Order: sequence, then structure tokens, then C-alpha cells
Amino acid sequence: MEQADDLELARLARGGDESAFGEIVRRYSPRVFRVAGRFFRQRERVEEAAQEVFLKAFTQLDGFEGRGSLEGWLTRIATNTCLNLLRASGRRPELTVSDLTEDEGTWLEDQLSGVAAARHEAAERSMVAADLAGRVLETMSPDDRLVLTLVDGEEMAVKEVAEVTGWSESKVKVQAFRARRRMRAAVEKLLEFRGKGRSVESAGER
Amino acid sequence: MKDQHIIGILEGGPLARLSEGELAAVREHAAGCAGCGRAVEAARVAAALLRERPASTVEPSPFFQTRVLAALRERRAEEETPALSRLWRAAGALVSSMAAAVALLAVFTVAAPNFGLADEGEVVTTASDFYSTEALFVPAETADAEVDYDQVFQAVYAPESGGSDE
Repeated sequence: MEQADDLELARLARGGDESAFGEIVRRYSPRVFRVAGRFFRQRERVEEAAQEVFLKAFTQLDGFEGRGSLEGWLTRIATNTCLNLLRASGRRPELTVSDLTEDEGTWLEDQLSGVAAARHEAAERSMVAADLAGRVLETMSPDDRLVLTLVDGEEMAVKEVAEVTGWSESKVKVQAFRARRRMRAAVEKLLEFRGKGRSVESAGER
Repeated sequence: MKDQHIIGILEGGPLARLSEGELAAVREHAAGCAGCGRAVEAARVAAALLRERPASTVEPSPFFQTRVLAALRERRAEEETPALSRLWRAAGALVSSMAAAVALLAVFTVAAPNFGLADEGEVVTTASDFYSTEALFVPAETADAEVDYDQVFQAVYAPESGGSDE
């Protein structure tokens, strides 16, 4: 089964061959996990989403005609399934400056002052930023999150994003444009609060 | 007042992909406009955040494949269950209607002959011989045990009234 090509595996799985489908899961779960990892941060949620992707893929195997790669087809299903799961969860918590951790506040200040802080190790700074990015993105709509992650974060071309989402290229561009505006506004709000916090702190020191 | 042209540049594409000319225009404008300066600052921080947020690097557990296949079997079983229960319900309905039909037949066979037909003087007797020839001629009050062979013989072979050629 491990030597069978994707088309053969898909054909067998379509006919109800469980071991063929198991091989598809084994072969492409790292890819599906990477896609789910764009949407969810907790391990359990990534794994739940990946499972849902494969279950959906099994029911849609008739739709795979072998014109594109199985990996591309699964990536599309994964992207849309995760997007729908995110929409269904409907959770969009507010993020205010009071929610920021000490490290996140320091990271923001370092960005503002332009010093790529030598006071923290690069890996540590990166983790703080990734966490803060995740929390800022959580306040945005699933569509905004997806387009920002793919276009601005992973620097994917508009055409590629259109392929994995099934959106038109113009929709990707418009969505990205609006999402950037909303992300910038969210960050600006954090920076304003931070700035006010700083001026209050410095006034107190005088 | 923010210059829409600068905002357009900031929102038109990823900050990292701006050309040298666009960056110069943004810097020059932001230096003289506080509002745009804040917008540029926020865009820069937003871009840094997005760059720093790699996809979560969760690796599939060794049991993932088994879990998916188990979930698949479970889901397929769930999908099959309604079909079985539909079949069961249909079979139940068929059995019930057959039972009802048998019960109805039994009622007609056993009880119906006695309903409203046993008036005095009528020639209907008991249910067991309701459809027999002699039942038509034996008086209603006569019990089966009391009907002797001669009566039956006469009842069966008696000439029809009014139909005789004699």
C-alpha cells in the first residue's frame, strides 16, 4: 500500500478500502496539520480540525478526479474546513492593553523604539511575538485571519491563495486590503493604550 | 488628516513588498503628518507580528491515523443506523397491520353474527354453523346439540316454499 500512487490510493479508498484511506491519512497528515496550524494554536484544536478534514475528504473522494495533485486537493479541503470551523466557533475575544503580558508590552515598546531588543534572546522574542500575533488575529474575522496569514505572513501569491481558498483573485485582494486596515486599526489601538499607559507611568514617576 | 494616498500604499500590499520609491514616499509623508506617522508605525508592528507568527508546528501523533479511521467507522455506523431503524419501523408497521387485519377477521367471524341478527323467530342459530345450509332453516332458539339428523335432513331437502310445480 505504501508504494501505491495517490491516484490509485484515492480509487481504492473511494471503493471503501480502509487501508488505502489510512495510507492517505499517513501520507498527508503533516500537510493537513500545517494548514490547521494556521488557524488554531492549541494542539487539541489542530488535531480535531485535521481529523475533520480527513473525514470530509473521505466523503468527497468522488470529487477528486486526479487532474490536480491529491495534496493540493486536500489542502483546499483543509483550508475550507478550518475556515468553517473557525466561523462556526464564532469566538472573537476583545484584546486590550490590560490583557497584554509584560513580555508582550515590552515587545511592542521595542518595536516602537526601533531597538530589536538585545535584552531578550531572539527565540524568546519570536515566541512572544507569535503569541501576541495569535491573540491579535483572534480578534479578527476568520476570513481576515486567513488572508493576512497567507498573504502577509507566509507571503503567498494572490493566485496561490485563490487556489487554496477557492476565492477569486479579486476577492483575495479586496479581503487582504480590508484585513490590513482592520489589523492596523487593532494594533494602533494597542499602541495608543500602551502610549497612554506609558505617559501615565512617567507622570507618576515625576 | 491622513493622506489617503499613503494609507492606500499601506493597505495595498504587504509592507515587506513595498518598492523603494513607495517606502520613501511613505517616510517623507509620515515625517510631517502625525496621523499618518501613527498609521505607519501600526502597519510596521502589524507586519512584524504577522511575520513572527509561523503556523503552529503541531506534528501528528502516532495514533492520529488510528483515531481518524475509528472516527470514520463510527460516522459510517451512525449513517447506517437510521436506515436500519427505518427498515425496522416499516417491518413493524407491516406486522401491526397484519395483526390488525387478523383481529378484524376474527371479530367478524366470531362476534359479528350475533350482532342484531338473533331476533326471535329468525332462522339464525349459532356462529359455528352460521354459513351452513341448515342454519338458514333451524329456528334461532334451537341449540346445536338439540338439532338432530332428521331436522337437518328435512331442512336441507325440504321443498322450497312457493317454488313447487306440484
